[in-house]
Amino acid sequence: MSTPVVDKSRRNDRLAAWLIKAAGLMVIVAVIGILLLIARVALPLFFAPGAERLAQVPTELQDAVVVEQGAARQTRELGETGSISVELLPGNQLAVQRSSKQIDLLGNEKVSEQRYQLTDRLPGPISVFWLGRKGQNLYAGTGNGWLVRWDLSGDDQGRLVETVEAFTDHRRITALTTVLGDTSLAVGDAKGEITTWMPVTTPGKGEDKQLTLVHQLPKSTGPVQLLLASPRDKSLAAIDSQGTIRLVHMTTERLLLTLVAGMPVKTAVFADRGRQLLVTADNGQQAAWKLSIPHPEISFSTLFGKVWYEGYNKPEYVWQSSAATDDFEPKLSLVPLIFGTFKATLFAMLFAVPLALLGAVYTSQFMAPALKGRVKPAVEIMAAVPSVVVGFLAGLWLAPLMDKHLLGLFLATVMVPAMLLAAIVAWRPLAEQTRIGRSLKGYEFLGLLPVVLLGLWLSGQLAVPLEASLFGGDLKQWLYSILGVRYDQRNSIVIAIALGFAVIPIIFTIAEDALSNVPRNLSAASLALGASRWQTAWRVVLPSALPGVFSAIMIGFGRAVGETMIVLMATGNTPITSWSLFNGLRSLAANIAVEIPEAPLGGTLYRTLFLSAVLLFVLTFIINTAAELLRQRFRKKYGRY
Amino acid sequence: MPVNNYWKRGEPMVLAAGATLAVILIMTLTLMAVILGNSLGYFWVKGLVRYKLTDGSYTMGQHTATERHALTDVKRLQLKVGNRDLYAQDFRWVDYSEIAEQDHPKDAYLLERNEHGNFFGFLKELKGLDGAPVNADYANLTRLHREVLAKRDGLQAIKDEMSSLNQSSERLRLKIQKLEYRGAEANGVAIAALNEQRATLTATFDRLNEQLNQRQTELAVTAAVFSDAAGTTKELPLLEIVRFYQPNQMSVLAKSGAYLTKIRELLFDDPRESNTEGGLFPAIFGTVMMVLLMSVFSLPFGVIAAIYLREYAKEGTLVQLVRIAVNNLAGVPSIVYGVFGLGFFVYGIGGSLDKLFFPERLPTPVFGTGGILWASLTLALLTVPVVIVATEESLASIPKGIREGSLALGATKFQTLTRVLLPMATPGIMTGLVLSMARAVGEVAPLMLVGVVKLAPTLPLDGQFPFFHMDRKFMHLGFHIFDVGFQSPNVEAAKPMVYVTTLLLLLIVVAASGLAIRFRNQMRRKYTTSHF
Repeated sequence: MSTPVVDKSRRNDRLAAWLIKAAGLMVIVAVIGILLLIARVALPLFFAPGAERLAQVPTELQDAVVVEQGAARQTRELGETGSISVELLPGNQLAVQRSSKQIDLLGNEKVSEQRYQLTDRLPGPISVFWLGRKGQNLYAGTGNGWLVRWDLSGDDQGRLVETVEAFTDHRRITALTTVLGDTSLAVGDAKGEITTWMPVTTPGKGEDKQLTLVHQLPKSTGPVQLLLASPRDKSLAAIDSQGTIRLVHMTTERLLLTLVAGMPVKTAVFADRGRQLLVTADNGQQAAWKLSIPHPEISFSTLFGKVWYEGYNKPEYVWQSSAATDDFEPKLSLVPLIFGTFKATLFAMLFAVPLALLGAVYTSQFMAPALKGRVKPAVEIMAAVPSVVVGFLAGLWLAPLMDKHLLGLFLATVMVPAMLLAAIVAWRPLAEQTRIGRSLKGYEFLGLLPVVLLGLWLSGQLAVPLEASLFGGDLKQWLYSILGVRYDQRNSIVIAIALGFAVIPIIFTIAEDALSNVPRNLSAASLALGASRWQTAWRVVLPSALPGVFSAIMIGFGRAVGETMIVLMATGNTPITSWSLFNGLRSLAANIAVEIPEAPLGGTLYRTLFLSAVLLFVLTFIINTAAELLRQRFRKKYGRY
Repeated sequence: MPVNNYWKRGEPMVLAAGATLAVILIMTLTLMAVILGNSLGYFWVKGLVRYKLTDGSYTMGQHTATERHALTDVKRLQLKVGNRDLYAQDFRWVDYSEIAEQDHPKDAYLLERNEHGNFFGFLKELKGLDGAPVNADYANLTRLHREVLAKRDGLQAIKDEMSSLNQSSERLRLKIQKLEYRGAEANGVAIAALNEQRATLTATFDRLNEQLNQRQTELAVTAAVFSDAAGTTKELPLLEIVRFYQPNQMSVLAKSGAYLTKIRELLFDDPRESNTEGGLFPAIFGTVMMVLLMSVFSLPFGVIAAIYLREYAKEGTLVQLVRIAVNNLAGVPSIVYGVFGLGFFVYGIGGSLDKLFFPERLPTPVFGTGGILWASLTLALLTVPVVIVATEESLASIPKGIREGSLALGATKFQTLTRVLLPMATPGIMTGLVLSMARAVGEVAPLMLVGVVKLAPTLPLDGQFPFFHMDRKFMHLGFHIFDVGFQSPNVEAAKPMVYVTTLLLLLIVVAASGLAIRFRNQMRRKYTTSHF
């Protein structure tokens, strides 16, 4: 049979089938697309840096001011107020000359000159010295591996702060410079090693900080002849006598680039705010490179490992993406954020899983069907409460309330179970011997509602005199002074409760569905064989529904890991790694929400935040996929979900 | 033999399980109670109490809380004293021991103002329309206030005209910019003509502006002098007063009237005082627009994907993959969608659109910044699984016989789908749609990255061509809660407003999802056959 109408409808049918199939597969495309697109933004963090040798040295670079490192005299302009210079005199002595400009009330400029010599006894002949860019610190390296530091900030005399035996094999120190920010000292030596040193407080060694070896950077190809600090970030250029230039980054201890000048280099300079490098040979020949190192401060070890940052006493995990000054060291460790995410999730799950699962068991197995029709929607409504509402209440209602009644809360964790136990014991004769007990089967929890409330009220009442007599009236003060525990108002307990509140309905609903869908004939058989209702639920129904219950927990876990608003509003968002219940935390998700509005497009921070989004995606992807596979298995077992 | 021991039978465990359910329900009820308790009373006009303190000074305000110190047993009360311009803070704690006398002065006024929050005080002097003093009483104040407001509303026509002039001028500016971008030389004549037009518009605008300023200065002459409880006087132009009451003289009926007025203001007016007072209209409107726009994207996609899964796909690895994908779409954290929306929609597509169509405006972005379109698309992705699951469930609940009947009668699969199955599944699809809307209304985290703002000067839909501005930023109820509650300079004073917003948001979400859940349960009952 073939009429135009039938043909047309058949054609339409085929077309629609194609379209529908395409749209169905689009779901897969969407998921993969999301992952790929956010990964594409994050990926350039790990691209290898590049450099392009300029065929011709740009004219504006040719007369760039070059600081010669081997020179016998170094001068630093100190802005409006004058300048300071240091000169190496024959006889292993350094002379300091300071000229300060002062403008008096009439506008006359007065220049005062001051000159002194540093006469301290040194452990060896000075091979190289470096005057810090702010003119406050003077460093010298000796021919036998010692480092010397003077403090020149005093007006009339330089103070020898310390002499450090940097290398026990007494190798010659050949190059010195301070890394951007003037905190770390980079040292190059005759063995081609590059190290950075930083003043660190060492316990038991007085007030002065000691120069300590902090970073061992990739080796140079030969004795380091020249060290040059980038004006853009914490990178260094190390140049050996053959003219091989190695760009290394201090924080990541990473070799960024190796450039070959092909001639002995005398001086070098960064130009264009660190984007170009210019070297000059002894014979005046020049070479220049255009550098493209967009994200030098990122490496696998800085993202996930402990790093010894400037100003810290030991290697630590730190997240601090911005600071007031440009020359600070970005601290982009994801570890405190991952830690915060898991801490929040763990506490929330510890709170939510027992409640939700037992609640689901009760609802599906013991509750009177009439009541079940009312309780389930109530929990589903709870699931619909927007997380911003939960977060708001947690931050502005629960946190201050808990601040006031901390002891009451602790008491309640003992008091409520105790009251419940008492109620259970008291219930026994009622349940077994009276008609009321039997007819209340399936409605028990209604009777327990007032017991819980009573327990809460009692612990609130008891807490006040108890706090006054045991803890001097202020538990938080007591915690701090006796146990040394700092109490934040927005702490992990608040998070556990608030996040738990968001997760409970999810776990409850899915677990309840799974438990309810275990075929009735299983439990009927168990009951018929004489098992009690609890034994049936615990030994027969629960094991059968286990895959569904597991998937409920996993989906709840996935939700807790990615929850943003609650964590954002109910914690102080402090990226610390402490297990204390009384401290706040910062999660990956909240961190994205906090930082991305200020992250410039394409910058390191922007890409790092995308990377943390990728992490979140991958983590929840694994959890959700596993949960879905479990659920599919469960469904196959019992037909319907 | 049945075990008779109470403990061995596990009865206590049953009760313990019941107790956990009790705890869950208590948590839910507490949440509701806290929100209701803190928001419902906010619009009720509270009486003003004047206290004479033991040091002889007076203070007046609304009693907001009483607190007893646990150790010292000192009782103190919190007063909302208002008058932020005079005292620099809204609240004050007073020890009971400090109070010498207290009374409820009948002639105390409560003023709601455009700036600096409420004023509590007494009416001292009143200046009429011409600035001449008139008898300072409630009747005169009411009459003058009404007249001043009527005159101010009369100025609305001028304001409307100015706004339209402003828009025209802006359009001209963009045109000129475009022409200049294409070549200032070649289009010199056209540009000059447009510039001239724009100058005319600007001149008219300036004239109107001057007129408006003059009229407003004239209106500001009408003022009232109020004094606070301590006697400090403050002259307030009536224009600055939104409304006023004598709360200690109001009957319950009058207070109920005021309550309704304020609810009306909440729903239909613009916010005042950096969102801590006034209405929520722009936020409600923005939320609704965003959700509707989102449904336009998510509904067709979700329904078709569900049809694929239930009607077209054969069980196998591919379907399993699609199901895993759907579950992952539902389970991926919402902030990741925000990040994706920012990277792909805003900077990716939006940036490209700008380069293609608005190169002359760069670096000022048009679509390359957050806006209602990008927000809707992001949320559409987020809520598509909800539609898919609901549609699939409702298709699944249609008995097989109906499909077979239709096919047996010679209908194609597509015809069966559109004529038989979809109409039957419509209630389920609508349930999914409502649930997805409820989810979208409450979602804030991704929106913060793709276009929500604390205060949008214009609505995304207005009378200006092209009427629906997809590139505009918008306000959102959920973000309003976060912003006012956590980023406002005076959180304590803003709290009641946050509670009210929370209640409104919760009402919308709970009503929507409650309806949807009820609907779904009814449908389940209708189609599913019971099984043992």
